[in-house]
Amino acid sequence: MPSPATYEQRRQTAGLFLLAPSIVVLLAILGYPIVESLLLAFQKVQLAAGGIDRQFVGLANFQRLVADETFRRALLNTLYFAAAEVVLVVLIAFAIALLLNHPFGRAGLFRILLVVPWAIAPVANAVLWKWILNANYGVLNGLLQSLGIIDVYQVWLGTPVSALNFLLLVDVWKSVPFVALLLLAGLQRVPSVLYKAAYMDGASRLQTLMHVTLPSMRAAIAVAVVLQTIWSLRIFDLVFVLTRGGPADATVLLNFLAYRVTFNFLDIGYGAAIANVIFVMTILLAILYIRLVRPAGEAAR
Amino acid sequence: MSVLLSRRDMLLAACAAGAAASLPFDTARASEALSVFGPLPPDPAPPGAAKFAEAAFEAWKKAHNAQVSYDLLAWPQLHDRMATAFASGSAPWNVLYMCGWVPEFAAFLAPFADDLPKALVDDLPASSFETVTWQGKRYGAVFTLSLLTLFYNKEHLAEIGFSAAPKNWDEFKRAAKELTRAGRYGFVANYGDPAGIGGTASYWMAFLQQAGGKMYGEDGLPVFKGDAGVAALQMMMDLMPGSDPGSISYAGINDATNVLMAGRASMMMNWPFMWNAAQDPAQSQIVGKLGSAILPAGPAGSASIDGTDAWTVSKTSADPALARQLVEFYLDADVQKRQALDTGWLPIRLSVLADPEVQQKLPNAAVVLEQAKHPYNSFVTPDFNQVTQALGTEVQKALQGQKTAAQAIADASDLVTAIVKRRG
Repeated sequence: MPSPATYEQRRQTAGLFLLAPSIVVLLAILGYPIVESLLLAFQKVQLAAGGIDRQFVGLANFQRLVADETFRRALLNTLYFAAAEVVLVVLIAFAIALLLNHPFGRAGLFRILLVVPWAIAPVANAVLWKWILNANYGVLNGLLQSLGIIDVYQVWLGTPVSALNFLLLVDVWKSVPFVALLLLAGLQRVPSVLYKAAYMDGASRLQTLMHVTLPSMRAAIAVAVVLQTIWSLRIFDLVFVLTRGGPADATVLLNFLAYRVTFNFLDIGYGAAIANVIFVMTILLAILYIRLVRPAGEAAR
Repeated sequence: MSVLLSRRDMLLAACAAGAAASLPFDTARASEALSVFGPLPPDPAPPGAAKFAEAAFEAWKKAHNAQVSYDLLAWPQLHDRMATAFASGSAPWNVLYMCGWVPEFAAFLAPFADDLPKALVDDLPASSFETVTWQGKRYGAVFTLSLLTLFYNKEHLAEIGFSAAPKNWDEFKRAAKELTRAGRYGFVANYGDPAGIGGTASYWMAFLQQAGGKMYGEDGLPVFKGDAGVAALQMMMDLMPGSDPGSISYAGINDATNVLMAGRASMMMNWPFMWNAAQDPAQSQIVGKLGSAILPAGPAGSASIDGTDAWTVSKTSADPALARQLVEFYLDADVQKRQALDTGWLPIRLSVLADPEVQQKLPNAAVVLEQAKHPYNSFVTPDFNQVTQALGTEVQKALQGQKTAAQAIADASDLVTAIVKRRG
């Protein structure tokens, strides 16, 4: 005769029952597309005879990735973009957070102004920068020429190095506000008693920053780094509006390449393989993020 | 008198009403609904979406007891929206706009153009069916004669002693170089997007045909790796010193058009819509200064590419006959005339192109007709986007000095061969 369920078992069963609707919804809107995308990556998918023709091709799509020069370029571009963006965004955002934490910077107006770039819709932001960077009418050219910094108008999006770095600059501009607010929150959690102790010990401002502020904000900075890396892997709208991946594929990032292969070339299986590479990179970062935000006690267990 | 109805009586009454509604009564035929998918103006949009022939459109709907709804998108989004809809099996449209995509989507289209009235077909250039024909079947009807021609600023050219447009490659290069001065450029193009009709690759295709070359052989494999292919690219590279350097960053035709209309460039290759836009003082600073001519001749003469703007009918259309009639309406002579006069998009019907009123309002109509006497193949295939992406990227590398013309063409040939072979 089975032993009657304990209170804890009954509690867990009830909890599972109550969670079931949420789990079903999550499986439908997250699980199904992920599994379907993974299956597509192992298939050759073609539009044919008014429908879709799917053939299992094993690892062929992933083997193509290895030999695909455009994919390699997109991967390198993405890695450069992500690394440079994280460094720039975190450094600039940290500097802004320090300013906003200063008594003179605590006015609400500064925070409102800071949020504006982040609040602009991504495509509107890209269109805005398209005009700013225009080689013939761009505000940037006009400004720099009027300041005597350049003699003739420059084609900012005209060479591979320049185009990629201007995309980077535009995305940094958009990303800094949120990370600055995130770091500001971290900054405000540093116990003031530590600053008082450092002052009593005769620490300089730089020493206080290096030995009190930064160590106390390690978790917030780590979260900002991981989140910003994930976001930089998702860049699409800027590339689509500003450069379409050009000139000569110089600004093709993985996300844009996955879109181009899937929807422009209708090479759906191969596009899914590229998308899954991004997915794996993102999921690894997400696991890292979860570990970072896990409460200390739970992490120790 | 009051009537008391129980819930049971109401349920019975509802069932009776439902059953009655489902009976096939002929006396009150419900209006047919057609859904049309196409581009937003200023790209070539249909009547009712663009401002032309609106009264005629209302009359057609009334006469055919039809409701027509438009699903319109900005041109760059059309292909991908269609691809997604077809792939997911949820393409709701009866009539669809196509632009070089017929071979790619042929499996989803009805070969309706074979059933168009003979009088209409006879009034269309036979060559207009080339880009909408796939494996011997006609899937579409081109509705605007849209070939690339040369547009130029007459005042600028007069300053360097040109009373007419450059007639050949040498004159073209010389004019572009001499016109590049005083803060303006001899030539401007939109080389920023390599792929598709009007992308970098398609400009090269025009030069390729001017050099006497073609894209594919009888076996479907590329044959452009030769003197003509290299000469075409070398011509584009030779034009660069006389071109707006921003050309490599302009992703859309409007980016380049704006430069010409601002008077900051003197020549460009453009579609016929340019004429009307350049005469509008609200958006143009070159009103009355624009000239139009056929593209300068290469070793084999002049040549262009086809914009291939066409209407097609979905294979799953519930009423393909009515859908075909709507396309016939779009191609009606009066509608075509209003399309030309009111939007600047030229008609495709030869009789309307020859109409004195059309020729007077749009002097470039005669130029486009003349251009049509020369080759204007856009070389559309099911892999058109992928092929033009690979090819256009190599062309961009050459234009930036990363590769010689011969290297870029050899590499492009290898890439296109791989794409064609993968299709099988």
